[in-house]
Amino acid sequence: MSTDTAPLDGALASSETHITPTKAYAPSGIRWRMMVTIAWRMMFHNKLKMAGTLIGVVFAVVLSNQQAGTFLGLIKKNTMFVDYSGADLWIVSPSTLTLQATKPMGISALYTARSTKGVAWAEPLLYGGASIQLPAGGTEPIQFVGTAAPRYAGGPWNVVAGSKSALERPNTMIFEDSERERLGGLNVGSIREVNGFKVNVGGITWGLLPFGPSFAFAEYELARRMLKIDSDQTHFVLIGLEPGANPEAVKKAIMERAPEVKVVGREEFRSMIVSFLLRRTPIGITFGTSTVFALIVGFVIVSLSMFSAVVDNIREFGTLKAIGATNGDLAKIVITQSITFALMGSLIGLAAITRIAAAIRSPKLGVLLPTQMLVGTTFIMIGMCVAASALALLRLRKVEPGMVFR
Amino acid sequence: MIGSVSKPKRVVEATGVVKDYGDGATAFRALKGVDFHADEGEFVILSGPSGSGKTTLISILGCVLSATAGHVRVLDDVITAAPESDLPKLRLAYIGFIFQGHNLIASMSAQENVAIMLALRGWNSIDAKKEAARLLSLVELSDKIESLPADLSGGQRQRVSIARCIAGNPPIVLADEPTASLDAQTGQLVTEVLHNIAKKRGHTVITVTHDNRIYHFADRIVHIEDGLIIDEKKDSHP
Ligand SMILES: Nc1ncnc2c1ncn2[C@@H]1O[C@H](COP(=O)(O)OP(=O)(O)OP(=O)(O)O)[C@@H](O)[C@H]1O
Ligand SMILES: [Mg+2]
Repeated sequence: MSTDTAPLDGALASSETHITPTKAYAPSGIRWRMMVTIAWRMMFHNKLKMAGTLIGVVFAVVLSNQQAGTFLGLIKKNTMFVDYSGADLWIVSPSTLTLQATKPMGISALYTARSTKGVAWAEPLLYGGASIQLPAGGTEPIQFVGTAAPRYAGGPWNVVAGSKSALERPNTMIFEDSERERLGGLNVGSIREVNGFKVNVGGITWGLLPFGPSFAFAEYELARRMLKIDSDQTHFVLIGLEPGANPEAVKKAIMERAPEVKVVGREEFRSMIVSFLLRRTPIGITFGTSTVFALIVGFVIVSLSMFSAVVDNIREFGTLKAIGATNGDLAKIVITQSITFALMGSLIGLAAITRIAAAIRSPKLGVLLPTQMLVGTTFIMIGMCVAASALALLRLRKVEPGMVFR
Repeated sequence: MIGSVSKPKRVVEATGVVKDYGDGATAFRALKGVDFHADEGEFVILSGPSGSGKTTLISILGCVLSATAGHVRVLDDVITAAPESDLPKLRLAYIGFIFQGHNLIASMSAQENVAIMLALRGWNSIDAKKEAARLLSLVELSDKIESLPADLSGGQRQRVSIARCIAGNPPIVLADEPTASLDAQTGQLVTEVLHNIAKKRGHTVITVTHDNRIYHFADRIVHIEDGLIIDEKKDSHP
């Protein structure tokens, strides 16, 4: 003190000398406001620690979204053919589990479908593996699709060079751009040998790369000869419904008349493919595990740093308790901090993952980040961070206000 | 303030206070039946050797610790009868604390540290900030209201904590060795402020100290040894 006069000397009005204890207790609005302020001040006071906790949340957000997004991308790769085929119903052989080359079935199902009420059109589709001869020697596999003119149901989409109608020309095929190099640098006008047949490249698609060899299309008759399928057989039949037709009723009608085949709706086929991926391939487990792992690591980091933040500030928490804050008030501080960490971390993490996804997006690797997933992640993070503060909350309950005297 | 004829108001009354730490065979009796009282506007010093039970006693008076046995009344409340969950409310109603380490919130300014106390006592934030600034000016820290504790000297921090402890006018101010971490001159001045709090504002101030250089401020010096009060004397004012 720099003055000679003692502080408080004469500074007080006599009205203040009557002290009546006020049992005023801050209402919950004031307490929340105060605890939120304290929470943020404490958080931002130790920026290094805050950065560490944020990294935990950001890590969990980025990694879990990247894994889940890649998984969704893979599902899209496997279902895009069904999505773009334009068919409302598919006739498949009864043993079909997913969209893949199967034993052919009798073509009679096609005629059954065409003569069923509610069916606007029905077209056969060939779907099998083929190999393309490379100019430098060797072969590469392709996912070969035979699509019937002139509707070309299940035919190429996203044609970026040449055109779909090129398939009308004899011995002409359409290939996928993203695999052009691998297929020997082909271009519109190139001549290649597929399954021993010389074919012209009549068009190029973009992005038609499933989880496997890229799609290549030929007109149905050419494809039938190249895949050596008898004319009374086919792999699939695609069906378009008349407007207003009831898919379930049409499905039932066809199956009654052709009991040797199975008819599935577009969504049904889609979920068959997804469930095949999840159950019959390691994809589900692989991505599921790494998504959960990302969340667990994030949880542990947040949990430990929330706990250590409480331990670091234990004296301040004790002081607050001594001067009249309750356990509930201290819990408000910790909950505020954990929700703030979740929101900040999600914001940074989502900004990062959308940038990353945009940067690496290609026909080969698509990371899909639907809005529901991004919003869902934020809620998961809030839940995760609040749960992660449980340890800290337990520690807080044990803070003795008397500790501040020691 | 307090007439010499009329009897001063008894603010704290403790009888037969016993405190055991731990239980069973390891139980340790820190207070062995203490009788203590303090009146409005009184400045009481609690002295005694280390481990004698000074902190234990003011912790019980301050409603941060429950007594094992005995009877403690603060104004109209018998705090020894209150359930544990009521203690925070009783502390808010009756007690201002000053600790040896100032115990300010490191991330908050001097003004905010004082305002927290007021907010806990139900003040809205605008009034609390105004009052905090006024209290800080009473301890001559008007120019430091925005400063963080780390940017203040030891004496300045202790003055902030004095402003905090009288914020909202609690009838009782409890201080545990408030001068222990200060140099002699600063310690004198801080004690003087505490004395003024009692004499000019009418708070009942109970201070634990080892520092016999500030004994002359006291109305009464209560000496405690081995969990028992062994001596009480009135000190004459300088
Ligand atoms: N939480 C506790 N658990 C067990 N024993 C305790 C606890 N707190 C204090 N004690 C014991 O009680 C006795 C009185 O302690 P107290 O802190 O009241 O002493 P004090 O007079 O304040 O001492 P000092 O001058 O060193 O601060 C001491 O023997 C101490 O060891
Ligand atoms: Mg002590």
